[in-house]
Formats: sequence, C-alpha cells, structure tokens
Amino acid sequence: MENWVIALIKVVFIWTWALLIATLMTWVERRGSAMMQDRLGPNRAGPFGLFQPLADGIKLFTKEDIIPEKARKILFALGPILFALPAFSTYAVIPFGDKMVVDGKEIILQVSDVSIGFLYVLALGSMGVYGMVVGGWGSNNKYSILGGLRSTAQLISYEVPFGLALLAIVLIYGTFSLREISLAQQGTFLGFLPNWGVFKQPLGFILFMVTAYAEANRVPFDLPEAESEIVAGYHTEYGSMRLGLYLFGEYVNLYTLSALTVTLFFGSWHLPYVDMSAFLGPISYGIASFLVFFLKTAFFLWLFVWVRWTVPRFRYDQVMGLGWKALIPLALVNLFITALCIQLTV
Amino acid sequence: MLKPIQKPVVKREYTFGERIYLWEILKGLKLTWKHFTFNVRASFRPGPHTVPTCWQYPEDRRPIAPIFRGAHYLVLDDEGRELCVGCGMCARACPAKCITVKRGKPAEGEEGKYAGKTMCTEFEIDMLRCIFCGFCEEACPKGAIKLGPEYELAEYDMDSCIYNKEKLLANFHKAKAEGKLKPPKKPVPVAGGDKKPAAKKAAGAAKGKAAAKAAPKKAAAAKAGGAKAKGAKPEAKAETKAEEKKE
Repeated sequence: MENWVIALIKVVFIWTWALLIATLMTWVERRGSAMMQDRLGPNRAGPFGLFQPLADGIKLFTKEDIIPEKARKILFALGPILFALPAFSTYAVIPFGDKMVVDGKEIILQVSDVSIGFLYVLALGSMGVYGMVVGGWGSNNKYSILGGLRSTAQLISYEVPFGLALLAIVLIYGTFSLREISLAQQGTFLGFLPNWGVFKQPLGFILFMVTAYAEANRVPFDLPEAESEIVAGYHTEYGSMRLGLYLFGEYVNLYTLSALTVTLFFGSWHLPYVDMSAFLGPISYGIASFLVFFLKTAFFLWLFVWVRWTVPRFRYDQVMGLGWKALIPLALVNLFITALCIQLTV
Repeated sequence: MLKPIQKPVVKREYTFGERIYLWEILKGLKLTWKHFTFNVRASFRPGPHTVPTCWQYPEDRRPIAPIFRGAHYLVLDDEGRELCVGCGMCARACPAKCITVKRGKPAEGEEGKYAGKTMCTEFEIDMLRCIFCGFCEEACPKGAIKLGPEYELAEYDMDSCIYNKEKLLANFHKAKAEGKLKPPKKPVPVAGGDKKPAAKKAAGAAKGKAAAKAAPKKAAAAKAGGAKAKGAKPEAKAETKAEEKKE
C-alpha cells in the first residue's frame, strides 16, 4: 500500500471515530447527568435513548439558520468554524494505539508522529478561543461579548499553568513527540509502580487536570457560557448547525484532552505490569493497544461528565485568583523540583 | 406577621483541606457516584416506574383520588335513567359560565328514560372555559353531574372541546366500564336543621376574603364544612376551624 493511502485511512478513521465519540458523549452526558440527579434522561429514541444524538443532529441540520440583523455576518459565520477546526485537527498528533503490522509493513496508530506534536497540541488548543471571541463579537449581543471576554481572560490565566505543567513532562522525557513519550512509559517505576507519568508528576497531573477543565470550558470553569449568568455566553445568538459546530467542537475537545491526559500521564496503550506485544499477534496487538488506549480515554471522558454534575461553577474572579495565585506558583515549583531532580539524577 | 427565619450561621475559618478544595471535590464525586449507581441499578429493574422519582407518564400513571375532578359526565341511575332534570343549577353555580342547559319534557313514550318529570334537552359544557372547580357537582340537587377521572382532554380542534350530552353520557359509560365512577356523596345535614349554618355564615363574613366574594363558593364551603370528613377544600377547612374557635 502506498503511504498516502495509509495516511488517508488513518485520517478518515480517527476523524469518524472522534465524531462518533463526540456524538456518543452528548448521550452519555445527558443520561449520566440524569442518573446523578435521580432523573431518567432521554430514553425514548432507540434502545436506552441511544439514537437521541441522531435525532438532535437531524434537528440541528433542519432548523432555520438565523443570522441576527445587526450581527457582523462574516465574523458570525467564521466563529463556529474557527472553534471547530482546531478542535477537529488537534487529534492529528495524538496516538490512538501503538502499531500494527500489515503485510510486513509497520503502521503507527497515529495520524502523524510530528516531532513537535506537543507544541502543536498547545498551539491549536489555544486557537479554539478565537472561535469564541470572534463568534461573541460578531453576534453583537452583550451576553455574547461578555462570554468572549471571559474566555480570553480565562485563557491567559490558565494557559500559563497548563503550559508549565506540560513543560515538566517534557523535562522528564526529553522529547516533544507524543509517541516517544508514550513509548517511554513502558515498564515499572521504582520497581513496583507502572512507569506512568502520573507517578512521576503527581502535582503536574493535578495542575494539568485542573487547567484541562478550563481549557475545555467545562464546569467548574465554564465561564464563557455560564448559562445562569450570561444566558449561553458566546453562543447565545447561534442556532441550527452553527450551534451544533460549537457543541460538537466542545465534545471533540473533551476527547482530545482525555486522550492527551492518557498519553502523558497514564501510560498510553500500556497495561500496568503486562507487556501485550509479547503474546499477541501483530494485528491483534494493534487492536488491543487501541482498545486499552480508548478505555483509559473513556474513563477521563466520563470524569469530565462526572465532575460537571458534581461541582458548581467558580466565580469569575475566583478563576482568575486560582489561576494566578495558586496554579502558576505551584506549576513553577513543580517545574523547579522536576528540573532539580533531573539535574541531580542524570 | 411571619418572623424572618433565623438561619444558624456558623462562622469559622476554612480548614486547610477545605481550602485545597480537591478533597472536597472528591467527596462530592463520591456522592454523585452513589446516586448514579443507585439509579442505574434501579433503571434496570423490570417493571414500570423504575427510577424512584420518575413516572414515565404514558406507561406509569399516578393513581388519582376517587374524588378527582376531571372531565364531566352525566349520571344514569341503576335502571339506566338519566338523573338530570334540566334545572340549570349547575349553570348558575358555574363561575366560568361554561354550562348551557335547556330544560324540556320527555317526548311521548320516552318517560322511562328519565328519572325526573323533566329532562335536559340540551346539555353543553365548554371545556375550553371550564376550570374544573367542581361547583356544578356540588350544586346539583340530583347528583346528576359529576367530574370524572378522565384528564387527557386534548383535542385537535376547538369544536370538539365543547362536550354535548352524548359525549357526557359516553364519558359516564366509559367511567362505569373502568369502574371509576365517583363514590356517592356523604350525606349533608339539611340547611336550617340546626344552628350550624348560621354560625358558619357569621364566621365566613368575619373571615371575609374569598368566601365573601362568591355566593356559590360560600354555599359550597358551608356544605363541605358540614361534612368534615370530606375536607377537600382549603377554604372549607379554614372556615371549619374558625367556627370551632367561635364555639
């Protein structure tokens, strides 16, 4: 097979898979929240209401596309695209499995193993904010503008600790490539723990999780859309599939961030203490590594939902305070300790 | 005057663990997890009405009280005779003025179909206006109109919301077939038989407010007050209490 055919197959596969998971997540979110709140949730469409996302999708596609009269038409149209595009393209550098050998050809289960994959994720992650700001500004609505402003303010207060927490990981593994980081997490650490990032960077992991929730605009940091304060924030004026893009982008973001968490901190496709490649065939090993990776990711996806329906929203100034007064100093301390340890051990 | 509720406010410094916040989040996660697992297990239980707080409406229906006030029906007695005599008391009692009754004499040879000497030639209830207060039921001297158990009254056009006599009789047959006919009213002491109604009237006047506004209401309240066991209406209860105080 040509290389480009393989690349195309991988792109199509991970694209479809991410979309499928995002769709499914809307169902998980709704039914999960219902179960936590002693309700039932949507259970009419299909078995267990599983076709509900489909029905929602049809609804969003067939709804009238309304553009407010005083909106800036171009910016208004640009907003959802700017939000969804980075969300969809971030996954390109994150692995979804180890490798598969087909016809003697080794296929890496990752769309592209970029040597600066790490920076790519960070860069595209911050790009998503443009979608909110542009959409919020273009809507010409005070709530939308407030939502956009909040997203920028939130961005600068959490992106710094986010980057610093990840920097410690880079220090440990000495590479920006996410595949190499994944490969380095095989085996055990200190003789008894799995060699996972979370055991080497416990503080870094906590900082990363907290900032990841802010990055994904999820409760408790869902300030840009804070529906109890500013209606729906940046997407107040949006309807039909434009809104659908925003919502979809959010869930794809969740998937990307969960996969990133697993890649960096939870040993990617490695099972603790067990080396799957030793006793599985080349193809079945590929599938197994994909499944292990996905199960870990699924846990973090669920954690997003779980936390959302447990914790109330932070106040605006509390998020800023948390970001600047707690997370950044902690991240710097973490970075310092990590650097010290590496300097002493190497 | 109600006193403002004093909430106990305990002012204290947050402990270190609380200020860290993460431990508290974990506690919260444990709580939601408990709810989640409980409800998931409950939702897999066979049978209707699984999650304890949810009634899945068209399948699970809440039981309704025997004195529920739903769609009206016209009562037939045990011999299948219409009880309504067409007196129009219900139409007068109706605060929404949704009942139209026309009185007439039964046609030759049809006297057996009616319990009284007269009957209603026309009986219309405009369900769009009806407020389901049940005053017609209480005003009826023959117990010929009742508010039945049926509460799904949506229609596709407004004309079908005006119930005529056939519809009202059909409602009766339906309720009878389902065994949901209203239990007979408890006997009410005859007005003027003792001094109670007068005392009640005075109490009602003193109380003023809702009772003084509508005469039929007062009458209804007086009746309900007489039969204490019924006690379906809050006003009736309030008046009974007032009366007891006076005595």
